Amino acid sequence: MALIEIDNLHFSWTPGGPGVLAGISLQIAAGERIAILGANASGKSTLAQWIAGWLPTAAATAETGGLTVQGKAYGDHDAASRPGLAQFTGQVPMQQLSGFAFTVFDEIAFGPGNLGLPEAEIRARISDAIRICNLEALKDRDPFSLSGGEQQRLSIAAALAMQPEILVLDEPTSNFDPESRDALLDQIERLPAGLTIVLADASLTTALRLAARFVLLDAGRIIFDGAAAALLAHPRTAEIFGLPEIRLAAEYLQSAGLWPAGVPMPQSTGAAISVLRPLLAASGVSQ
Amino acid sequence: MAAAKDKDREKTLLYVPGEGWLHRLNPLTRLTGLGLVAVAAFALPPAATIVIALVATLMGTVAGAGAVFLRRLTLTLGPLALALFVVHGMLMDHPNRFGFLGLDLSHDGLMYMVKILGRIAALLSGSLVFVTTTHPSALLKALDSHGFPPGVSYLIASPLLLLEPFTQRARAIREAQMARGLDLEGSFFARIRAFPALLLPLVTLALADIDHRAQVLDGRGFRARPRRTVLDAPKDSPRQRLARRVMLGLAPLLIVGAFFWH
Ligand SMILES: Nc1ncnc2c1ncn2[C@@H]1O[C@H](COP(=O)(O)OP(=O)(O)OP(=O)(O)O)[C@@H](O)[C@H]1O
Ligand SMILES: [Mg+2]
Repeated sequence: MALIEIDNLHFSWTPGGPGVLAGISLQIAAGERIAILGANASGKSTLAQWIAGWLPTAAATAETGGLTVQGKAYGDHDAASRPGLAQFTGQVPMQQLSGFAFTVFDEIAFGPGNLGLPEAEIRARISDAIRICNLEALKDRDPFSLSGGEQQRLSIAAALAMQPEILVLDEPTSNFDPESRDALLDQIERLPAGLTIVLADASLTTALRLAARFVLLDAGRIIFDGAAAALLAHPRTAEIFGLPEIRLAAEYLQSAGLWPAGVPMPQSTGAAISVLRPLLAASGVSQ
Repeated sequence: MAAAKDKDREKTLLYVPGEGWLHRLNPLTRLTGLGLVAVAAFALPPAATIVIALVATLMGTVAGAGAVFLRRLTLTLGPLALALFVVHGMLMDHPNRFGFLGLDLSHDGLMYMVKILGRIAALLSGSLVFVTTTHPSALLKALDSHGFPPGVSYLIASPLLLLEPFTQRARAIREAQMARGLDLEGSFFARIRAFPALLLPLVTLALADIDHRAQVLDGRGFRARPRRTVLDAPKDSPRQRLARRVMLGLAPLLIVGAFFWH
């Protein structure tokens, strides 16, 4: 049994409103690192909130289908164990703050404190989270006075301190400069292999670094589900993410040793596809 | 820039960092003391309230908050004293009148002024002792570690923390609406008409925010268990616990006593 099973999920935010998720079926195994990609308003954040258990709510429920985690709906897990099951960090950094803590340190301590964990355990979790998210220099600062990127790092730290089985990140690096982004991704890559990571993003850069499996959403439907090379060859990929991203992606493949030697970086989608086709054919992937 | 914002919050908080004995007391002890001062301000005669105000001001000054006391006390008591002097000392028909420097004053009216001023001064300086020596985060931790319901602490913390981002947002909405041609600097009526355009987005945002924050709190296990673990809780001692009991015991005595005095 997969860790998360989504079965033919139809969902709209208002009853009878436009369908935001139009028949999503998806299984995610424990330890998988999966990216949900797509254009603006394709439903990435909505799907991410389902996966993290923020949906359904009393006001917004599935029209058909649903989601189970470890075989049960989120609502059937008890309130004290849910924070350890999944953590979600949303797109707007300031909204992720608890509004309870006057310092970065206390913000991270808030969640584990709520669980009533022993003090030593809480301190250990905080110092791990601070190290991973590079918050040492900020730990006495007021969370609400941090910059957007700093707040994003803080909300990821607060999520990690809950030691969830599933970490759902919605555009976690959107406010990051490239250097802090790389620093954080390096650290996230080193998180325990058993941690399931779900990333929702509108850019390929972070996704290619973090994920091994890619789901492409288009108007609330999954139009692609597979590995990096095949994603890059998909016709919608270039349309959604544009050329510079395709180039970056090719560079990524090159650095990973997957790009054929001597072939120049592609300047167009067509060029990229003509390089990737034979590669895919050789590895047995068909389209 | 960001550090400056931290400073702004400190300023709105009035808190003055320090290491003296008053700062080192458990916040709950100071809170109980403030409660007792509030009761005393209404129960005791004017002479006693003035003594309380003086002692509180002295304590605040020793704790390093002299400037805050001077500013707040003069800003509040100055205009009030003037108003009470004119209204009760001169204008109102209180008995026992006498002439002084050509003014027709009432002795009873002036006594009334002293009584009100004494109460306000005691209340204000007592509260100032509390807020200048108690950082809200210390109060939260003290409440939490003494088993007060987390909801209580949240009610104290969130307004202090969220007010500032909320004001910023209100300003942003105002600017955005003005950029789109909303008339906010015209006549009184133009502004009244513009009011819903400002208020609606703010209320909508606030409601969406509350929804979201409720989920953030659930996600972090807020109230999932009856008791939280508090790190770095302010120190407490048997003596302080005793002092708090004594103060809590004194309050009803003062109230009963007040009935006999008046
Ligand atoms: N809380 C909400 N209430 C009502 N409608 C919503 C809500 N959140 C999202 N929507 C709508 O659902 C649709 C999908 O939104 P969603 O946030 O899932 O898109 P997204 O793929 O994450 O987009 P983006 O790249 O802009 O973050 C959009 O049309 C959006 O307006
Ligand atoms: Mg989104």
